[in-house]
Amino acid sequence: MLSRTADNLYWLARYVERAEYLARILEVTQRLATLPIAYGGETNEWESAVATAGCTGAFSTQYSEANEETVTEFLCFSTANPSSIRNCFELARTNARAVRTALTMEMWDAINGTWLQLKRFGNGPTSREEFMRFLRWVQEASLRFDGRAYRTMLRNDAYWFSRLGLYQERADNTARILDVKFHLLLPTNERIGGPLDYFQWAAILRSVSALTAYHWVYKESVKPWLIADLLILKDEMPRSLASCYGNLVQNLDYIAQAYGRQGPAQRQARAIRTRLQNRRMEEIFQQGLHEFIGEFISSNNRLDSAITEQYLM
Amino acid sequence: MRIRVVHRTSYRYDTPATGVIQMLRLTPRNHDGQYVINWRIDVSADCRLNQHEDAFGNLCHSFTAEGPLSELVVSVEGEVETRNTNAVMTGAIERFPPSLFLRETPLTTADDAIRDFAAATRAETGDDGLKLLHEMLARLHADITFDPDPTHTATTASEAFVLKRGVCQDLSHIFVAAARSVGIPARYISGHFHRDDGVTDQDAGHAWAEAFVPSLGWVGFDATNGICATDAHVRIAVGLDYLGAAPVRGTRYGGSGETLSVNVLVNQTQHQSQS
Repeated sequence: MLSRTADNLYWLARYVERAEYLARILEVTQRLATLPIAYGGETNEWESAVATAGCTGAFSTQYSEANEETVTEFLCFSTANPSSIRNCFELARTNARAVRTALTMEMWDAINGTWLQLKRFGNGPTSREEFMRFLRWVQEASLRFDGRAYRTMLRNDAYWFSRLGLYQERADNTARILDVKFHLLLPTNERIGGPLDYFQWAAILRSVSALTAYHWVYKESVKPWLIADLLILKDEMPRSLASCYGNLVQNLDYIAQAYGRQGPAQRQARAIRTRLQNRRMEEIFQQGLHEFIGEFISSNNRLDSAITEQYLM
Repeated sequence: MRIRVVHRTSYRYDTPATGVIQMLRLTPRNHDGQYVINWRIDVSADCRLNQHEDAFGNLCHSFTAEGPLSELVVSVEGEVETRNTNAVMTGAIERFPPSLFLRETPLTTADDAIRDFAAATRAETGDDGLKLLHEMLARLHADITFDPDPTHTATTASEAFVLKRGVCQDLSHIFVAAARSVGIPARYISGHFHRDDGVTDQDAGHAWAEAFVPSLGWVGFDATNGICATDAHVRIAVGLDYLGAAPVRGTRYGGSGETLSVNVLVNQTQHQSQS
């Protein structure tokens, strides 16, 4: 397979996953922002949504204040923000078109259909209900694309590269949520049990659709250190860092076996996976959750460059 | 290196046993130099394998099989991807500080002969831990002949040292005892070794030792082969001595005339070039 093709497949999956993630955090933010101020506290939820999306710098050059209007515009419809939902779908389609023959009919239909429908939403929703509908639709679009890929693609390098993009992006997203919200998860947090915390914690779980999963796994009320455990170390939780790396390692391994050679990407992914497997939550808290997440994000980025260098260029 | 391991332990009883309880330390874990791709344990009797972790972080499985059993086979099969880390062990589970591994156990008690051997080696190489360990490794490898006949699983380090003969277990015990006697923390490792001479069928698993060097961390020393641990070593369990890291331990109710056979197949599945 040409490196170009692999690159397009990788980024196609990444952009679709990113669009879904943005829709998720906006939905959660919307929910938190509609709470009475007594519950919501002093924090500006919209600001933290921009931080979680990882584009505070770009946002502040264009807007002076983070509120519902500006953040919605910036994260969903702005053409100036390279990773707005609109641009994600735009770029996903461009990537898909370049490798049209490596995709199945169903996948192309899903991505092209999404792109066409996006025009219907124009430059922004007219009401809150319509905005919620839009966010639902974005998530549906990603699920549709992912499901079609899963059901129709041949299990060869094309499929594996697209999975790599997906899990790489997913690990990055989960880590970013933890990075912005880590202060809520520290065991030393004194205000435990207040309504503010409950809604904030539930919001973290909702943003990775894990609220129900949490209760299945722990059979307890929502506790911050268990949330951290679920999102970092639990293999059975599909958006946890451990699970993303399990999948990354496996797909990299398939690629290595098919090509008969392996390199830094495989080694790095295995090393990170090993670290996640051999750690316990107490140790992570002892060494500092924030440091751990920061280190994870940079090693995840290093893996991205290793994959890029080894396969995509 | 991608190493495939097939490890079969079979028991045959002349008079069937009414029940068997066993504890297995047969499952490797990941560390920086080793990644387990897949691993499966099969027990020939109907039973439930309970997985747990022991104090050192080894993955253990225990089971109880109800008889009558005239035969019991525990087979393990799996693939591991290994990488040469120059014998330095990083990224493994460490539940204890290194000084815990200065403890002597009945199997690794250093008698005067071993103590003298270690002290004599130190007198020559000086206090540099790594140099000392390498010298001990070379001497033990040269002095002690590999011979599976005279020793058994309960042979202590000092007995084997007198005989100057033994298997990997005895060599590792002697190495561990000698290192501890000069104040270097050392531990016993059980695992598998991929031989590069083309022999894939082996009669037993392998064992080596790890010693703690402050500037590097834990370093693997394989006295049987006279080398440091390489990417040919698949590391399975850690312990203070053989009993703490033994692949299979257990007992049976009833029955008699037990014969045990172990068969290990270690080969490289596919040649992969590393870039």
